[in-house]
Amino acid sequence: MKTERETTAPVKPNWLKVTYDQKKVDKMTDLLSGLNLNTVCAEANCPNLGECFGSGSASFIILGPNCTRACRFCDIPHGHPKAVDLLEPLRVAQATKKLGLTHVVVTSVDRDDLPDLGADQFVRTINAIKKLNPNTTIEVLTPDFQGHEDCLDKVIAAGPDVFNHNMETVRSITPKVRNRATYDTSLHVLKYVKEHAPKTMYVKTGIMLGLGETDDEVYQLMDDLRAIDVDFLTIGQYVQPGPKNYTLREWVPMKRYQEYYKQAMKRGFKFVASSPLVRSSYKAKEELEAVENQ
Amino acid sequence: MIKEVHMPKLSPKSDEYFFGKWDKQPGDTVKTGDVLFEVETEKAISQVESQEDGILKAQEVATGDATKVGDLVAKIEVG
Repeated sequence: MKTERETTAPVKPNWLKVTYDQKKVDKMTDLLSGLNLNTVCAEANCPNLGECFGSGSASFIILGPNCTRACRFCDIPHGHPKAVDLLEPLRVAQATKKLGLTHVVVTSVDRDDLPDLGADQFVRTINAIKKLNPNTTIEVLTPDFQGHEDCLDKVIAAGPDVFNHNMETVRSITPKVRNRATYDTSLHVLKYVKEHAPKTMYVKTGIMLGLGETDDEVYQLMDDLRAIDVDFLTIGQYVQPGPKNYTLREWVPMKRYQEYYKQAMKRGFKFVASSPLVRSSYKAKEELEAVENQ
Repeated sequence: MIKEVHMPKLSPKSDEYFFGKWDKQPGDTVKTGDVLFEVETEKAISQVESQEDGILKAQEVATGDATKVGDLVAKIEVG
């Protein structure tokens, strides 16, 4: 049956082709839903899900599934937040063990409703993972905690190996796509973590391309990040989740990713991942290993 | 024996997709793991691999068709 396309989304480029092994994905989905856990992979409908689930890796999203912010680029449901599940940290730790993860990424929805803004659940999760998986490295991808330093102190003290907080985009586009988050607050978060974390903890951020940013704005962002000594940078293509989300401006050509990679490395980042399908936690394990082996 | 191929679930959040294109034509030999067809979901173009060895007998959907999880997509003659 022929039907009219319901969206005006531009035709997807060839690099968005991914393979999807339903059996492997189903196996992973069963395991995760059996533990009543959410992954950012499924919640954000990630194009890499088939590859990552197929290879047995996943990124957990805690404190969800609903987010208290409604950022226009994001596919995570915005809605009334649920009560904090105090057993969730243990289940994340158990899933990490069951999957045999040597590197685990833990992120969360925003929880502006909680007095601790969700920081304590990060701490509990890090502690639980460490207890059950002493050899697994831990990467957190946190909200901005409204810039509250006491929240950042708690998470830093819990001792993740990588502290990630995403800038998401350049300064001019931030107010158009992020909700209750500012460019300067996010920079402050990264700066504060870099200044207060042990030198062995890497600080990481990521941005999306295709929102209408210019080269100069991207380079300015890189300079702002290097001025506060951020270690890792991920750059990937924005894919509009649905017709109501921020309109995709451009499928950014591969050569621009390559140019940004060169420019970022020249500026002194320890590790840069720049390619259309790169996401914050995509191959995060390989990223950490590459830096540790340098 | 004819085996029916049904649309798999390719996206955690939705069950309706646009059919992309065929990588095999009726009469073609198909092996397990060969890309059979492509489907456009919200955030990706998913390449669906054959789960059977055999000969593609029929294509039941065409490029641009709206399809749902579970819809009959193809028939493969096996054994």
